[in-house]
This record gives sequence, C-alpha cells and structure tokens, in this order.
Amino acid sequence: MKTNKQLALVIDLNVCVGCHACVTSCKEWNTQGSAGPLNDLHAYGENPTGTFFNRVQTYEAGSFPKMETVHFPKSCLHCEDPPCVPVCPTGASYKRAEDGIVLVDYDKCIGCKYCAWACPYGARELDEERQVMTKCTLCVDRIYSETLPESERKPACVLACPTSARIFGDVHDPLSEASIAIKERGGYSLMPEWETRPANQYLPRSIMDTIQAVMDEN
Amino acid sequence: MQPNFSLIFFTTLAGMAQGLIISIALLNFRSSLLPGEFLAWLALPVALALLVISLLASFFHLGHPERAWRAMLMWRTSWLSREVLVLPLFIAVTGLAWLFALNQQQSTWLWLALIILAIALWVCTAQIYQCIRFIQEWANPLTLVNFMALGLTSGWLLFASLIAIWPTVLPSFEPSLLAGFGFILLFACLNIKLWIWRRNQRLKPISNLNSATGIKNPQLRQTSMGLMGGSFNTREFFHQQSNLVISNLRKIIFFNAYFIPMIALAYAISTQSYGWIIAAFMIHCSGLIAERWMFFAEANHPQNLYYQRVS
Repeated sequence: MKTNKQLALVIDLNVCVGCHACVTSCKEWNTQGSAGPLNDLHAYGENPTGTFFNRVQTYEAGSFPKMETVHFPKSCLHCEDPPCVPVCPTGASYKRAEDGIVLVDYDKCIGCKYCAWACPYGARELDEERQVMTKCTLCVDRIYSETLPESERKPACVLACPTSARIFGDVHDPLSEASIAIKERGGYSLMPEWETRPANQYLPRSIMDTIQAVMDEN
Repeated sequence: MQPNFSLIFFTTLAGMAQGLIISIALLNFRSSLLPGEFLAWLALPVALALLVISLLASFFHLGHPERAWRAMLMWRTSWLSREVLVLPLFIAVTGLAWLFALNQQQSTWLWLALIILAIALWVCTAQIYQCIRFIQEWANPLTLVNFMALGLTSGWLLFASLIAIWPTVLPSFEPSLLAGFGFILLFACLNIKLWIWRRNQRLKPISNLNSATGIKNPQLRQTSMGLMGGSFNTREFFHQQSNLVISNLRKIIFFNAYFIPMIALAYAISTQSYGWIIAAFMIHCSGLIAERWMFFAEANHPQNLYYQRVS
C-alpha cells in the first residue's frame, strides 16, 4: 500500500525548556509497549546507562551578553531517504510504505550494528540486553491504537511536552499543523548535506528577535 | 569508531587467505609451478583454516549469531549481505580445490573461479565501509586499494613462509625471489598507507555543529549531551584513546607492518635465507592487526558532533 503519507515530528526550539519530559514519557511508554523493553544497565550504579529513543541535549550559542541556551530534542528523523535501511543485511530495518515510519523488526535483527554506523545522526541505539537495534517508532502502537481515546493517539513525547514544542503530523499533507508550522516558521532539516531528507524538522529560534522587536517598539 | 576485534581478525585473516589463494592460483594457472603435495598438504589447508577462522571471528560482532543466516537475504541493497554470500562460496570453492589437490588434480577453471571470488570478497568487504558516504575517511576507493594491497602482501608473505617450512626444497622459489617480490609489495602498501594518512590529515569535515543542529550562530558549543553514564552512541563511535596512544600506534604500524618486515626481507635477499622471510611475516602480522585497529579508530562519525560534553 503506497500512499503519500509521511508522519513526522516538528520540534519548536523556541519553546523547548529542556525538561526531559519527552525523554521519560518515551521511555515509559516504549519500555512496556511493542518496542520494549528498553533495558538499563547498572541502573543504581555509578554510571547508569540504558536504551532511549529520544534525548534532549543543550547547546550554548553566542557569547555573553548576547547568548542563548538552546535545548535540542533529538530522536530518529524518519528520513525520506533513510541510509540505515538499504544497508541492513536481513531486512529487519525498513521504512513503512503506508506512513513513512522507519522501524526495526526485532525478530529479524542480528545485532550487527551496521545500520547505526550508516545513520549520520546517531539516532539508533543497540539494546545491550536484548542485543537488537532499537529506535524511535513514532509510537506506532499508540497512534493507530483502537483502545486509547482518540485524543491520546499521538506519540507519548508529544502528549508529555508541557510547552507544546513537539508537533506531530503528516508532513506531506500541506494542510496539517506540522506542514503549516514548517512552511510559516522556516522549518529546517538536520545535516542537509547528506541528502537523507529527514521527515522530522526543527523550527529555528526566533524568540529573541521577537523580544528585541517589542523592546525597540517601546 | 570503536575498533572491534571480531572485525579486525575477520578482515585481516580473510584478506591473508585471499592473498595466499591468489598467489597459488596465479602460479598454477597455466603450468603447475607448485607441486601437488604442497597444495594438498600445506597451502590449501592453511588457506581453508584461515577462512574458517575468519568466518567464526565474524560471528562475534553479532548480537544474535544464531540468526546470521538471515544476513544473506538483502543482497540487492546491502554490501554486508553480498559479503555474507560470497564468503561461504569462496570457502566452498577453496574446499573443492583442496579435494582436487588431494586427488592429484588441478583445474584451471577452479583457479580462475578462486581469483574472481577472492577479488569479489575484497570488493564486498571494502564497500561495506566505503559506501558510508559521511564517514569521509572510508568513503574513498583507497579503502578497497588498501584492503587488496595488504591482503595480497600478507598472503604472499604467508605463501613464502609456507615454502620456507616445506621440507622439500623447491628450486624455482629461491629466497631472494620470494623476498624480493614481498619487498616490492610491502613498499607499495607503505606508499598507499602514507597516501591515506596524508588524505585523512587534510580532510575537512563536511558536517559541523551548525549543520548538525541547524543553529546558525558560529559560536556554538554543546553544554550537555543529555545523558551522564554513557550510551551506545558514546561507546560505539569513539575509540576512547588519548592522542599519545594513537600517535604511538601509528609509529608501531609504520615499523611493524611495513619498515621492519622490509628490512628483514632485504636481509633474506642478501643472505639467501628463508628464516628472515618467516620473521618478516610474523612481524608484519602484528603490524597488520594494529593497522586494522587504526582503520576503525581513525574513522570519524558525524554523530560524534552530538556527543561532545557530559555535564
């Protein structure tokens, strides 16, 4: 079933406060969902480490006094031309024709890690206990659920975000909220130089310009 | 990247076996320069053993080796899958050549098939690394050239060592001839490696923190990678060694893989002794493992841009 649908996330860097609610809600849902478990090693030790589909990083731009702190959520970008898929020797890594989600079939994955090498974004993480490659599924088991209330049929990270920094939708539908946000607010892709055409896009920070404009007016 | 000993042993041992098989196949292609007993009882069993060990070694980098057979399925798109098809075929044809040799027979067609399969295996192995376009150290035909050159050289040195330990003296294979050819091959390999190192040194990374995050400010640094105890991303893509270790290892590679073996071969030529050839081969092997370790370690993955600071 080939459709023109491409589900994706649009992340608004203006309002992300770096609270990691998307990280924990992602882990909570997915460790018990069809993609789980997402194992942790030495959870109570000195250096706890575990599998996460989503990370929030922090960057500092500029120099004092003109500087900004940018919180930057990072997960699989569900590329339209995903370099991780053709390299998989078993076919465990695939991109769904019906909605463009890139997934891993854990029963076919041999844990060779080649797909992780072939992803320039470091979006894939090997689960050390299950020894299979894991990644963001866009909560495929939530968004098509028939038992959840309709308002909850969205990725866990989107529902958890307290500032609505994450917009979920079909980026091929020009009328979707995600497409409109990309179009009107200058959405961009990460590492465009590798021509992977990420479906997920980011909305650049313009909030400082807005504040400056208001201050200039007064 | 974090070097993985499973892949280091796989690529070096299989490469050596490919070089050995190409050496004996070329020597016996038109006329039987090598006696049948040498092939049946030494050269082909050694090649076969190396290939089987390298196949076993390759299983150790898999999370689920019991599912390895699935890796044959995606040969239309994946070089890794193609390699997984070619390697068992190469082992099977080598086994067939061994059976022929045990029955005092040789076949030109078999030698031809072995040469083609050995080259095909090199292409598959090198393409696995070369086709990752954003690992700039690998995405170059020099990856294939280096794998082939070192495979042929280590294979030839192994062949020369096997001639040296074969109890019957083979008059057409004097030490000076074996060592001389090995010297030329090593010299070529050294130049290829120096060329690669010079290229790597001059590489300008195509991705940077600005393109990775889309934040345009030229003054941009990470203050947190979002985790503290390490993750797959911090373990798999960094070699975790200091610059001192890396630069010392480069010296070890230069001396052990290339320079000292060349001197030993020069001694073998001047003294007409087989012993120096065996010494050259042994030292070269230690350097070869270090060379392959460095091949992985010196590859810079763009994902590392996202994993710079813990705090």
